[in-house]
Order: sequence, then structure tokens, then C-alpha cells
Amino acid sequence: MQRRFLGLVLVCFFAGHVTMQAQEFKLFDRTVQIHGFASQGFIYTDQNNWLTMHSSQGSGAFTDFGANVSVQINDKFHVGAQVYDRNLGNLGEWHPAIDWAFADYRFKSWFGIRGGKVKTVLGLYNDTQDLDFLHTFTLLPQSVYPADLRDSTIGHLGGDVYGQISLKRHLGGVSYTAYAGHRHDTNYTGYAHLLVKYGITHANYGGLQYGGDLRWNTPLRGFLIGASRMNEDLTATGTSFTPGLGIVPFTAASRASWTDQFYGEYTVRKLRIDAEYRRHIYDQAIDKGVLCTISDVRGWYVAGAYRFTRRLELGSYYSHYAITSVGGGPFAALFPDQTDTSLPANHIYDKVVTARVDLNRFWNAKVEGHFMDGYGDSSYPNGFYFQVNPQGFKPNTKALVLKTSVNF
Amino acid sequence: MKYQKILPVFAAVVLLGAVHALAGDVKIIANPGLQADSITVTELRTIFLEEKRTFNNGSHVEPVLAKGGEAHDAFLQYIGKSDDALRTHYRTLVFTGGGTMPKFLDSDAEIVSYVAKTRGAIGYVSGDFPTEGVKVVPILPPGAQVERKLVTRIEPEYPVSLRGLQIGGTVRLLVTISAKGSIEEVKLLGGNPILAESATKAVKQWVYAAGRSQTKLEVSIPFDPNR
Repeated sequence: MQRRFLGLVLVCFFAGHVTMQAQEFKLFDRTVQIHGFASQGFIYTDQNNWLTMHSSQGSGAFTDFGANVSVQINDKFHVGAQVYDRNLGNLGEWHPAIDWAFADYRFKSWFGIRGGKVKTVLGLYNDTQDLDFLHTFTLLPQSVYPADLRDSTIGHLGGDVYGQISLKRHLGGVSYTAYAGHRHDTNYTGYAHLLVKYGITHANYGGLQYGGDLRWNTPLRGFLIGASRMNEDLTATGTSFTPGLGIVPFTAASRASWTDQFYGEYTVRKLRIDAEYRRHIYDQAIDKGVLCTISDVRGWYVAGAYRFTRRLELGSYYSHYAITSVGGGPFAALFPDQTDTSLPANHIYDKVVTARVDLNRFWNAKVEGHFMDGYGDSSYPNGFYFQVNPQGFKPNTKALVLKTSVNF
Repeated sequence: MKYQKILPVFAAVVLLGAVHALAGDVKIIANPGLQADSITVTELRTIFLEEKRTFNNGSHVEPVLAKGGEAHDAFLQYIGKSDDALRTHYRTLVFTGGGTMPKFLDSDAEIVSYVAKTRGAIGYVSGDFPTEGVKVVPILPPGAQVERKLVTRIEPEYPVSLRGLQIGGTVRLLVTISAKGSIEEVKLLGGNPILAESATKAVKQWVYAAGRSQTKLEVSIPFDPNR
């Protein structure tokens, strides 16, 4: 309860600085900029508890904040770092971490490199999913940007090459990013939380992550299309509690883990429409093949937003999430196959409407309604967890989400 | 009856006024030390969207914006984003580590003052605002050909065989000139192939004055057998 108020205090504190732009100062004749943000939300659901919160009673365990410092050393060289902390129900739990920290050297507009802890470019919004003030919606479509699985895609410790290329004959321009690095999930993420249900406690989870993104700003002004691909080679270690055996070591390794994402966005005057499709395949062997699971997660959404006035924006989206999961190995019977996506246990269809009010340039408030069909209960995390729903799941959930955020 | 005659005139005046307002509502200004005699819309977008921090000739640039106002609204039409979308673009850069927040100033006077004293600064003010201490950088309309001054011209040799046969004509070439003024490429657009070979050989030795960026120009070389 004290930490929930802390979130509100942080928002009020930053709101008190809303008249300021970036805080900046000179260091060795270079301008150093400091920026920050904070948000506080509240969720109420009519039936199932959502995102590890006791949302059916109303929950304010929905807070995050961050701050960064950056400096342009010269026209080509830029360095910076950002710290981020959040609490989302039983996830995050106030463990601050380096969100990004890297050096960026841009040789030419068509070629630059970054090295360090880098946000991962995947689809339209992966690298900005935490930044509430950049978006119309409090929660991005969970079929593509699950808030409980932030750790799995948010960043990598490694390097990127990137650039922008103008095409001839008025064909617009393309932007590309290619990256490789190491992914490390904290123990405060949705996947680790889900596995507790099976008596598994993660100690370490992560591995190699590499991929790329290519987007085309088409000759039609405001119309962009693109595609992303991510490959991973992951391992997990920890312990598991097995009746009769007690606590034993646990290991898991991916045999295939990849994500494809396709997207498009069209912006004209005050209207924005975007759509994305993501497919994630996760094929893993647990305890050297004692159990194997293949999860095929497919999500897509279509969203629209319109800015009616300088202060008011309305938006809506339809989010479609479906999962199929099959098991193998001697213990496959413990995880029955889930292949019928018409069942509420294997899908979440979410209709959302949002109103965003910009109180000033730095402070906004949002009201959002979710109308969900399904709860996607499987061996892959998807927003609905057994720990806060011990009585089982109801097929539908309505949610009211309120959120306010500030940035400077 | 009276209104039927007045209405078209009124509409024409309003339309002409609107066009004039768009063109006259904003002008681009730069620090006097910035090597820029003109700027294209593409270059404006590249600079103000922080895709580059230098001009094509390598000069440092620092974009400066207004917090609001008519000049700001007119400027946004060149960038192709609304005020909200542009600020979202900057915040995305800042909070993902892709860039820094540019300066936003309250008035034309503040912008002129800042641009005048800051190396590489480029901003915009109302069309009729005094610009003492800064240079006004005209925006080239789309498709406008940039003027380049020819410093050294080598005349082509007239092929003896063709002159003897009284064969002449005009050779059209597309010439690519580097920012430094040397000829990077010559493409034939039309004309007698033998005359073109001679013309191309000569044009490749031409030298232009240094410019802001690489330029493509169409050059016509006449061959008159009677001269």
C-alpha cells in the first residue's frame, strides 16, 4: 500500500516540474540532458484477476518510472543511459534496472553502430512499450506487446547496426536495424511467475538474441510498412519441487525460438491507424527432454486514434491472441495439448476504447475500457495467472484502466 | 444578383490570400557561419527529425523550434508532422537513446537571438519578423534546379570527319557535380553518339564552384559545322 502511494507521489513530484523542459547543464563544453517520466495506474476487473493484480478488488499496483542522462559528444557520437523501475501486480516488484546504456556512433545517415544495453527494435512499439506518454492507450495490444513479458523482448546487451536510406525516384526511404546480443530476464517477469505454478523457481533465464527490422516509409506520405524478425537461443536454470523427490535442479533449453512481426501504420493529419501481426514459436526441452513443449503464439491487432483537440485524443483497438501448445516426452501427459483456439483457454480477444486527455505538454490522463473474451490459460504466460485466480477462470473479463503519467 | 458577381471575386481573393499566407508565414533562418545559401524540404526534414546533425557539406547544424504560433504551424507543413507527432518523435528519440531534445523557444525574438549566437543553429520565424544578426535561408521548391557556377570550361573537339560531312547537332548530357565541384558522372541524354563522345570527354574536365551538396544538371553542348 505504501509503495502504491509512492507511485502517486512520484507522479505528483514530476507534475510539479511540468513547466520545465529537459534539465540540462554543460560538462566539458558539452550539453548534458536529463529527462524522466513516471506513471501511476489503476485497474478494476469485473471477474478474473488480470496481470498478476487483485484487480477484481481494484488495484493500484501499476506504477513505473525512469530517468535518463545523455550527451551528444560530437555530430556523430552520442552516449546515454536510462534507469527504469516498475511494479505491475506481482511483477517488477520495485527492482530498478538499467533500461538502456550505450554509445552510438553514426558514420553516415545510412550507417551507424550502437553498443551496450540497447532497446530492441521489434515492430512499431517494442522499444517504447514502457513509455505511456508516447501512446494513446494505457496498455498496448496485449496480443503483440504483453506487459507481463516485457523482459523477453525489451532489450539486449550487445550491438546494433542501423541506418536510413533515401530511395531514388521518389520511392520514399527505408530504415534498417540489425542486432545481436544477450537477453537476460529478471525473476520478476511473467514467465518466471507462471512457472511457480508448476513448482519451478528460475535462477537464470536468457541467452543469445539476434535479428533485424526493415521498414519502408512509402511515397504515400504518412504510410509506413515493415517487418521484424527475432531469433533466440535460450537456457534456463533453477530448481523445481517434485512430490516425492523434493527440490531438484531444473534446466530448460530452447530448440527453436523465433518471432516474426509484420506491421503497417498510416498517419494523416489527426488520424492514425496501425496494425500488426506477430507470431512467436517457442520449442523447448525441459530437463534434457523429459518434457518438451512447442507453443505457437499468434497475435494481431488493428488500432485507430484521432486527436479531436489539442487536449483530447480518442482511440480504439481490437486485439486477437491465440495459442496452441503441444507437449512431448515421457511427462507430456502433465501438459495436455491445447490446439482448439475457439476455447476461451486458448485465446484472448480484446476490444478496447480509450480517451486520452493532455492536461499540458508533459502530463496526461487516460481512461480505458477492455472487453475480453477468453483468458488463454496455458503453459505460456498471457496475462491471466493461476496464483491470483485459484478458483479458476471465467470466460470473459471487463476491465477499467485509469492511468496518469508525466514526463520532462 | 449582386452577390453572384461578388462571390467568385471574394473566393479568388481568399484563395490567393491563403496561398500567400502559407508562403509568407515562415522563413528559415540560420547562424551566419552556416554554409547554406538555400535548403531543400528534404534537408529540412532530415535536420529537424534529427536524422543528421550536419549538412551535406559537413557543417554542424542544431535545429531550434518554436513552442507554438503561426510560424510554427506553417513550418510543420514542411516537416509533414503535426505538433503532437513531432514532439512524440523527439520524445521517442530521447527516451530510447536515439537522440536529444532540441531547443523549443517562446518567441521569434528568442529564436533570432539564439540562432545568432549559436554555431550551426537553424530555426524559423514569422515571414515579416526582423532577422538582424542571422541569415535567411530560402527553401528550394521541389524539383528546383540548384545553380552552380562553372569555373573552368573545356570546349569539346569537333570530330574532323563529321565537320567535313557538315554533320552537327546538340548533345544533351546529365552531369553529376560533387559538393566540391568536380564532375562525378556524365550520362548521355540525347544527340549524335560520335559528337557525344567528344562532348563527354570535354565535360568531364569541367570544374564548378563548391556547393552545398552534390547536384545534377542538364547541360547542352551545340556542335555547329559552320563555326
